[in-house]
Amino acid sequence: MATISTALRNFKEPTKDQLTQFFFSIPSSTSLTESPSQDTDTDVEKMEINAVLSLGEQGVEDSYAGKLYIIAPYLAFASLDRKSVRFTIPLSTIRRVERLNARAGIYALSLLTWHGMKIIVQLTSLRPTADLFCSLLRDGLKIELQKGQMKAVKGFTKTCFSESLIAEPAVADGEDAAATSAEKDASAEIAYHGGLGLKFKFPGDPKKLRETSKLKLWTTYLKTHGRNITLLRYPQCTRLVQVGLPNRLRGEMWETLSGSIYLRYANPGYYDRLLQEHKGRTSTSTEDIEKDLHRSLPEYAGYQSEEGISALRRVLQAYSFKNPELGYCQAMNILAAAILIYMSEEQAFWLLEVLCDRLLPGYYAPSMHGTLLDQRVFEALVQRCLPMIHEHFQTVDVQLSVASLPWFLSLFINSMPMVFAFRIVDCFFCMGPKVLFQVGYVALQSLRSSCECFSANTVHTAILKINGEQLLQIQDDGGFLNLMRDYFASLGSSAHPTSSDPRARAITRFQELLLISFREFSIITDETIQQERKRHRSEIIHSIESFSKRSAIRNLRSLGRFDKEQAGLVYDALYKAMCVAPPPQTLLATVVKEPSLVSTADGSVGEEKPETRVGLKTFRQFLSEVATWARDERIVRNGPFRERVDREVAEHEFIDRLFYFWDVGCRGALSFQDLVSGLDGVMFNDLMENIEWFFNLHDKNKDGYLTKDEVLTLSETFLFIFRYEIGDAYLGAVSRFMTNAFEYGDALLPRPEPKDEEEIPQSPPPIGSNQPYLNLATFRMVVLADEVLESFFETDLSASFKLELLPDLDLPASGSSVGGIGAGIGGASGFLGDLWSSIATDGNKKMFNMLTDEFGKTIGKHQVIHKPSIGRYTKLEEPKARESLLTPSMRKSASKSSLKSSDTSTTLGTATTTPTVVASSSSSNTNLTSKPTVTITSSSSDKEGLIESGAPLPQVPTTPGADAREEAKSLAMLQAVAKANAAVMERTPFAIDDAEDSDEEDGEDEDEDEDDEDEGGDELDGDDQVLDEVDAFLEAHDSGLTEADKEVAKREFGPLFSCILG
Amino acid sequence: MAESASGSQDKSVQVKLVLLGEAAVGKSSVVLRFVSNEFQPNKEPTIGAAFLTQKCRLEDRILRYEIWDTAGQERFHSLAPMYYRNAQAAVVVYDVTKASSLEKAKSWVKELQRQANPNIVIALAGNKVDLVQPSASSSGSSSSPDSEDEADDATATPGETPPSGEPESLRQVPREEAQAYAQEAGLLFFETSAKTGEGIVEIFTEIAKKIPIEHILAASRNNSGRPGAGGRGNNAREENVNLQDDQTKSKDACNC
Repeated sequence: MATISTALRNFKEPTKDQLTQFFFSIPSSTSLTESPSQDTDTDVEKMEINAVLSLGEQGVEDSYAGKLYIIAPYLAFASLDRKSVRFTIPLSTIRRVERLNARAGIYALSLLTWHGMKIIVQLTSLRPTADLFCSLLRDGLKIELQKGQMKAVKGFTKTCFSESLIAEPAVADGEDAAATSAEKDASAEIAYHGGLGLKFKFPGDPKKLRETSKLKLWTTYLKTHGRNITLLRYPQCTRLVQVGLPNRLRGEMWETLSGSIYLRYANPGYYDRLLQEHKGRTSTSTEDIEKDLHRSLPEYAGYQSEEGISALRRVLQAYSFKNPELGYCQAMNILAAAILIYMSEEQAFWLLEVLCDRLLPGYYAPSMHGTLLDQRVFEALVQRCLPMIHEHFQTVDVQLSVASLPWFLSLFINSMPMVFAFRIVDCFFCMGPKVLFQVGYVALQSLRSSCECFSANTVHTAILKINGEQLLQIQDDGGFLNLMRDYFASLGSSAHPTSSDPRARAITRFQELLLISFREFSIITDETIQQERKRHRSEIIHSIESFSKRSAIRNLRSLGRFDKEQAGLVYDALYKAMCVAPPPQTLLATVVKEPSLVSTADGSVGEEKPETRVGLKTFRQFLSEVATWARDERIVRNGPFRERVDREVAEHEFIDRLFYFWDVGCRGALSFQDLVSGLDGVMFNDLMENIEWFFNLHDKNKDGYLTKDEVLTLSETFLFIFRYEIGDAYLGAVSRFMTNAFEYGDALLPRPEPKDEEEIPQSPPPIGSNQPYLNLATFRMVVLADEVLESFFETDLSASFKLELLPDLDLPASGSSVGGIGAGIGGASGFLGDLWSSIATDGNKKMFNMLTDEFGKTIGKHQVIHKPSIGRYTKLEEPKARESLLTPSMRKSASKSSLKSSDTSTTLGTATTTPTVVASSSSSNTNLTSKPTVTITSSSSDKEGLIESGAPLPQVPTTPGADAREEAKSLAMLQAVAKANAAVMERTPFAIDDAEDSDEEDGEDEDEDEDDEDEGGDELDGDDQVLDEVDAFLEAHDSGLTEADKEVAKREFGPLFSCILG
Repeated sequence: MAESASGSQDKSVQVKLVLLGEAAVGKSSVVLRFVSNEFQPNKEPTIGAAFLTQKCRLEDRILRYEIWDTAGQERFHSLAPMYYRNAQAAVVVYDVTKASSLEKAKSWVKELQRQANPNIVIALAGNKVDLVQPSASSSGSSSSPDSEDEADDATATPGETPPSGEPESLRQVPREEAQAYAQEAGLLFFETSAKTGEGIVEIFTEIAKKIPIEHILAASRNNSGRPGAGGRGNNAREENVNLQDDQTKSKDACNC
């Protein structure tokens, strides 16, 4: 298993609009692509308005002040306490809207629903607001009419049991109502949807549950307060729910209360289509479902028959098709099985959707982050409300969630007798997730007393409170679990068994549990829960992520030569890359089914688990995290402002080549293992291994020979890797490489020549560009003939892979930043540093960077420098013996590369120096470290002149002394040299052009230099020489040395470097 | 003394044991067989974890197994550390009729060896051997109702009633392979059937033998800094253990 998900990073707190929509259970318009509202661009604006609701002329209910919302195509109302009264009504059920003119100054509307219920809302806002609301309402109604939704209402409501309940109240007469109606259903057309219970009986004894009287009460309520999609929820409704829904109405009420009915209403036929489209499809989810079908409420008769089983299968499968990312989680089978007793498949499907999506968000997700989060929240609530228990649990090291986790996951259905669990579910759908917390909390709380009641057998509450608290005697998880189990098992028994009052004896523990839950613990509100969730979310996400990181590393088949920590760094880089460039969904969790006959390259057995694989795009991002040459880094300085590094992902054929090279399984995608193995293949190599690795990488057909084309490609790779190197050393090396490769290659062609490097074969035999040409031995020889390449392969190649995270790994909060990350590394080095840290969000950064760029440009201090990837040589050191052999080509390349900037080079060309280079370096931030000095000796003035920065800089106005950058330690020194060079190169023309600015600039430079010295103070203090040189430089600088004065330039170099430190 | 209640606990050594393994390999059934000698063909999947206890006599000691039976589905994996922390023993179960379940078992073993209590005793159990045995062996009372169950025994590899003629064909994990792995990884190894009861008791007996009981006693003595369970309780505990040495003579294995 190696699935890596960045989904948790993408969590966003719901907006206010969304919260309102959640509250009213209004399906979000984007939830389903197939929803019939394609023309939603004509959406009616949302609006809320103060209103007073009263119900028709019957005067059955009080008036309630609250807010009326139009969220097309729904009209919704909530009383001010957001608890007493609320409704959500589809606009399409409204048949008539009248403006009532009862009294002057009162703006009231009368809404008539399709079944004749009259709702009166008095709009108490100012008149223009009310007018606007009315016009929105009118628009909304018009759209619904055009869409033909008005006609759909009747057909839909036929599927609701409540309609037939009201139409023929006789049904609800006898005790055996279920039986009679079942017969009726069999004979007549069953219009309404129902669950397995109709056929297989509902759990519980209908007499004991007082089904008949409950149904009667509901019939009365539904007659006057609307039903199914038009239900108005008055306090009476909540009360009726709390005493338990009648079995036959339960399914529909669940649907109505949870709001899943609106989804079903808005998406007719979706469920059947979904099943149809995915018929016969299998996945890990369907396999898991299959395992659990017979294990879902197996004691219920319906699930001992094929009918029940296949209904369960269809619902669970349909959901896994609808939401493949979530798929199927154990516990969903129990929920679905429970639901299906009371409702039809289609109803159950939508209810499941609402459950997983809105009511229990993230509970069943692969990471189960919602579950973990809510467990944490529950713990926090217990800590707050039952500190004694919390403390005790802490001391005996008992985890609350060992018991409470299953409660939440299966809505208590598994934890207590079903009849009771369903009543909790009733309340849960009616009042939301807080019910789980309340009940769980009270279960703990009442345990303190009621368990004591068991043992002490006394009823005196005071004594219980003092003595009681069996919970407080628990010593371990097991004891806790047993206690809870016993408690739940005893829910049906009397709460006060020894009471003399028979009425008190009749109260069951369950009733007591519910009573306390809703009376006394209404302190736990949805808001509390939201807040707590917010508080603990990042902690939970962090622990989930570190867990999955650990297990991803543990599950690597091979760590290669990495230790675990290093593999962790690879993981981090991959994770970051996935945040920035998320792999396409199809790669995320594809089930890799190995065809049984073909054994794959990595020879894994039974790899059926979904494994995260990343595509080329993410790979490029990943590589840019770990390899210096796989990113374009530009150092941007804007005068006194904060400087920054802009990082962009490089694209080159070489990177693609690497991707396919590492894709040993030929899947077109790389797993974490592939990346680890791939990096392992290059990061620990010595010279010879690296040469071979590089050779193999370019030997496409693996025949041990490079073709001529491949030699060229290989050279291009060199050029790509060296693209930002300063100086001609690398260019020269590549050029020599090419020359030599072809020389040797020709020389060693089948017709053997005397092995003499100097001698160029007179007539190289013609050879096709795609014929085997250069073998490894020859390649090796060619590489070793060159000092630069040799050192590249000896150390630099391996060292160019760096696992240390690049600074600025603040993972994008949204994960949405595209392209180059505006990566600001280096701490606050400008006077805006403080400001910087306070505005550092992704979007802001970009804006800020642009702003500073602009500003920098205006004051002529904008400077962009490419950072070299290797940066070892800026020029060759002492001429080596074998150099002579290569001189011609070197010359050649030198002249070639100098073309571009020949004019510049002549001005400074002979700035031959033996400067003491003090290079800056830093541990990932701007702290400066002075480094040992490096002596650069130039061998010829000619070459010296060709120093140039590899980057296309010339257009950008720059200043000397302005650039000073840190970077990973090993690079720092040479970079500084490089940048110094660049600075010198750029300085000249600019200084001439804008001579008048120079004073001001110099002044600023000086300031900055001083700043910088302060920052790097620790390191610099010891180095008096450097400081002296800085002073010297500043003097020199002030005296206008910017002329292409070679002698001064010579002197200038040293100081310049030290100044670059800043 | 309040010892009367806790004293009974003191006589026995508590061993925390955790069951791990892929979904539907029969973890819960193994426990159920061990704890109450029952078998339910359609056991509900475990959500989170279930907790059961069973006492077990080994030579002169009574072990009290506290068994944590965990959920098998992959996504419950991240909860597992909650259950295996401090566990002294683990039974990692796979299904002999399903090769992939052994792979999962291996990864559990790996995880336990790296993350769990360092002295943890791990047993590997290949469950459902009844499905791969010639029908003759499934003798006794259970055979006739079982064969009926098999048709809708969802926990069996889906889709087939075991053909009575050649049951070995159902087997996907050869005994030798699993045994070799167990040996290499230093695990106890058993093939079991929760349905027939084969091998179940043996697992727990062997674990009991292998567990460093003295360690556990020492450990529990050390961390009994619990409030209320003062130093006095510790002495009492020691006494009880000593007493027990003399007292117990029956050398039954697990007393199920």
